[in-house]
Amino acid sequence: MNRTVVKNQLIFDFASGILGPAKSIFASTYLQFNSNASKIGSTFENMLGENLMDNENIHPKNLKYTDCIDSTNNKSTSNIKDPVTSFFGNLNNLKWKQVYKGFREYTATIDDKDELKLIKMDPGVSVPLHSHGGKEYILVLEGSFCDEYGEYSKGDMQINDQKIKHTPIASRDIGCVCLSITEKEVIFFGKYGSFLNLFTFIKSFFKPK
Amino acid sequence: MEKLNLNNLMKRIQNDRDEMAFSEIFDFFAPKVNAYFIQNGIKFESSEELTQEVLSTVWVKSNLYNSKKSALSTWIFTIARNKKIDFFRKNSKINFKEEDIREFLYQDREVNLIEENEAKKQIERINNELDEQQKIMIKMNFFENKSHKKIAAELEIPLGTVKSRIRYILTKMHEFLR
Repeated sequence: MNRTVVKNQLIFDFASGILGPAKSIFASTYLQFNSNASKIGSTFENMLGENLMDNENIHPKNLKYTDCIDSTNNKSTSNIKDPVTSFFGNLNNLKWKQVYKGFREYTATIDDKDELKLIKMDPGVSVPLHSHGGKEYILVLEGSFCDEYGEYSKGDMQINDQKIKHTPIASRDIGCVCLSITEKEVIFFGKYGSFLNLFTFIKSFFKPK
Repeated sequence: MEKLNLNNLMKRIQNDRDEMAFSEIFDFFAPKVNAYFIQNGIKFESSEELTQEVLSTVWVKSNLYNSKKSALSTWIFTIARNKKIDFFRKNSKINFKEEDIREFLYQDREVNLIEENEAKKQIERINNELDEQQKIMIKMNFFENKSHKKIAAELEIPLGTVKSRIRYILTKMHEFLR
């Protein structure tokens, strides 16, 4: 897995407007917290704007400019909000679920194939060595954590997949709060569903560890 | 149409609510925006309704446009993209318990917005590095949102080539943006 490709893919897909709701919230938070990601996003939006500028013309049949003019002249204001607090509200008021001592999480209720979660780790708390089912994206919102691969502070994103095993430890001083996305494993339904699920189950044993 | 001219027209809309200036913006962008929706797989009648919504937004919210922050075409693209997201959401089975979350996701990012000049330089650099086929692939993949499979079929090249070339562009992008 090439992390640069995965990161840029996320930013490009966000700019194109094709991400599902969970990943949209995650990506917009990433752009808000990470100035480099935000720059890539803006440049890419400008590239797509150029595509619009040079796009072919397919003329609307029944539309005139007068149909788009509203007589009311209302001054609009843009409302800048932080996506995390807009979506979750005040993080201190959330009903966090304690997974074990010093490690809490809150799973968002969104109808999507990807799972959006907030993770809160107390100072110095560590996660036992683990690997991941699907792909997992972790964005640091507050504090920092480190693992075998490096240190991650506010605005940094880590991407993990089934090949990565690690032992994250939250910063000793302030702990950390992270936003995470987990891509769920594909589950098959329908006539041959149980057979296909059995197949992916067996196949998982042959995945490179 | 020259960009400078578009910006002047936009200023006239912002300052004087100049309807003639708007009619020129409309004539230039409406067919391109309409084409964008059709390229994204939206049927003609709906594309026309969405085009109306986009151009109405340009008129009503004209004061939100800041020529220092982005090119006019970029601003209009983002409005069209957001209408597309809303359209597909309304027509999907996905249930939203929350209020419209899209509203605050695709707002102006006040921090770290790059000046148009900087963006222009970067786009020029990227355009110099990419060949014609790569540019077409970017447009097909991210502007028209076509699948890799469809791109391969339309360009008559193997699927593997499409995947590896797009992967190459994504890898290169952070070097281009330095």
